[in-house]
Amino acid sequence: MRISPQISQMVLSALQTSDTAEQKALLQLTTGRRVNSASDDAAAAAQEVNISSQMNNCDQYLRSISSIYSEMQTADSSLNSAVTALQAAINLGVAGANGTLSQQNRITLAQQVRNVSQQVLGVANLSYNGTYVFAGTADSQPPYVADNSVPGGVRYQGNDGVNSVEIEEGQSVAVNQPGSQLFSANGASVFVALNDLATKLEDPNSSTDDIGSAVTELRGAFNQLTSARTFYGSSIDQLLGTQNFLNNKNVQLGQQQNSTVGVDMNVAATNLTNAEQARNATVQAAASLSSVTLMDYLSSIGH
Amino acid sequence: MSGLTGTMWIALNALQAQQAGSQTTANNIANLNTPGYSRERPILVEADPFVQGNIVYGGGVSLEGIQSLRNSLLDLQISEETQQQGSAQAFVSAMNQVQTLFPDDTTGIGQQISAFFQSLNTLSTDPSNLTLRQGVLASAQNMATTFNNTAKQLTYVRQQLDSSVQQQVEQINQISQQIATVNSKLASVSSTGQEYGSFLDQRSELIQQLSGLVDVSQVNDGISLTVTTKKGVPLVVDGQAYNLAAVLGTDGVQHVYSAQDQDITGDISGGQLGGTLQVRDQTVPALQNQLDSLAGGMVTALNTAHQRGTDLYGNAGGDLFLPVTGTGAAVNMAVAFTDPKLIAASSDGSSGSNGNLANLSAVANQAVSSGMTPSAAYGNMVFQVGTAISNGTTEQSASTAMLQQLQQQQSSVSGVSLDEEASNLLLYQRAYQAAAQVIVTINQMLQTAINMGASG
Repeated sequence: MRISPQISQMVLSALQTSDTAEQKALLQLTTGRRVNSASDDAAAAAQEVNISSQMNNCDQYLRSISSIYSEMQTADSSLNSAVTALQAAINLGVAGANGTLSQQNRITLAQQVRNVSQQVLGVANLSYNGTYVFAGTADSQPPYVADNSVPGGVRYQGNDGVNSVEIEEGQSVAVNQPGSQLFSANGASVFVALNDLATKLEDPNSSTDDIGSAVTELRGAFNQLTSARTFYGSSIDQLLGTQNFLNNKNVQLGQQQNSTVGVDMNVAATNLTNAEQARNATVQAAASLSSVTLMDYLSSIGH
Repeated sequence: MSGLTGTMWIALNALQAQQAGSQTTANNIANLNTPGYSRERPILVEADPFVQGNIVYGGGVSLEGIQSLRNSLLDLQISEETQQQGSAQAFVSAMNQVQTLFPDDTTGIGQQISAFFQSLNTLSTDPSNLTLRQGVLASAQNMATTFNNTAKQLTYVRQQLDSSVQQQVEQINQISQQIATVNSKLASVSSTGQEYGSFLDQRSELIQQLSGLVDVSQVNDGISLTVTTKKGVPLVVDGQAYNLAAVLGTDGVQHVYSAQDQDITGDISGGQLGGTLQVRDQTVPALQNQLDSLAGGMVTALNTAHQRGTDLYGNAGGDLFLPVTGTGAAVNMAVAFTDPKLIAASSDGSSGSNGNLANLSAVANQAVSSGMTPSAAYGNMVFQVGTAISNGTTEQSASTAMLQQLQQQQSSVSGVSLDEEASNLLLYQRAYQAAAQVIVTINQMLQTAINMGASG
């Protein structure tokens, strides 16, 4: 068989092949990615769209968690101070139910109870970043306002609305407890109970039993507040648990992304070396091949 | 003829024959790097013997002609493979432009879609916050702008391909014309019995060029040649070229018409024109449709969700995006308002409610386009573009490798080898020198014979 005498095309194509391989390996090494455009591995690229969207979502959920976490922490610690104040008011009531106290002493106690009421009102009207935390979803105005026409002298103008925030795919957490559950629940209003207790203490005709029943009423309202308040504790626990989960998920997704589109550096480095060697060999072979023909030989012997 | 004069004639013919040999060698060497050139060789045969009495004398050498060495079957195969390579090449290079519009990582539509839904999640932590509401509007606008730009770029790619179609049709016509010219020359030269190998070389080279541009099929009896497209539209019949025409169609793109004024746009399957038309008329429009469907689907679903809520003014929510669907949805996608208070986040009418944001966020998991969620629909487009290019690249490499092999085979028949030419040159030179020596010797012998007469 006659061998094709024209080797330049072969050399050129061999050079192009090794150049392409070299470029590819170099790109993989510099980007750390095996898939640098969708055509490198279409299925992996489509998967990465999904993975990177999930990773972004994870980051977003984490941001949202940290933003609602601090609001709920603030709400919870404020409620804690309200609980302490109410505990003190109960103690004042128990002291007032003692038959040996003078009317003057009772009026002093009543004054302290009214102070507690003011203190609790401050907590109930807590605002965080310009919104009122215990107003339900009507949070642009203070939920409690003084109004002598209603029992207890304080009127709730918030609503029963509860907001939920998604903190992980398919998982939401309620972020607020309306005041109507905490401070002014039906039949267990803190403000009504405090007002009743103070009124009974101020009234010289009140028996110790009257005051005792006002203290019982206050205990009822106190219990309602402490039980409704556990909402914040459990929500905060849920936030922390989900935060932990999302951090792990993020790491896992990162690993998944790496195994989908990342490159094994050892493999890429080896590929680069191989491509360079192939290129050098081709160049050397081409240089030695093209230099010798019979023509040169004939002219060199002076034919 | 016999005798000394006869011998002299034999030697003279030999001189001619060896000269012809060295001339073909010179021609071969001269065309060492000429594309399409097939090496030539002299056809030398024994001359008719002559008989004297019962003795047969050899008549020397005779030069029959010059032969071009070529394999026309390989020519046909190369033409076929060139068509496929041209088509794959045009396809891949056009799709590479498209690919940059569908990135899989941190830019592009996929990223903007997820950024929009993230801004909704942020707003849900503080639904009446105007800064966060502004953030939702900004990311909605970014998403719409990315849809707009991607759609515009796809249209731009189609326009570029459209002007390529015009240029390619022009090139096809030029080459057809050249083939027709060569055909005419070939017909007249061959009818006078002259050597026509170089015209065949030219024609073969032109046909390969044409094959790179469009699918061709040829009927070739050695001299006369008819070139048509695969579907039988004539391009060249002997000395007559039939020009194709690119005409702007009612659909806004160039259509290819045959010389018989038929629209053959859909029939062209090979060569660069075939690949270009495939991307322009099939691949890109399919992507445009999917992009429109995704944009329209998202706009409709988000608007429906938005209308279920209440804005900060206490009014029922309107459209979040201008209501666009169908063709042009992606390029016309736009946010319907700029006042952040108009975002209908509330589900109970109070300003602090975030209930309706959950309805908007839920669109991320709704089937909005061909049964797919927004993110999945985008992922599917990335997959399609990637697969199209990787298939095209595979096809391109395969046909390039095949073509290379065929060209090597062709070259092993037709290619000029300097080693071979050098040794031939030596042979012809030696033979020429020997024949010349014969003439000198015969001349001396004749001189002797003449002197014999003079002295007698």
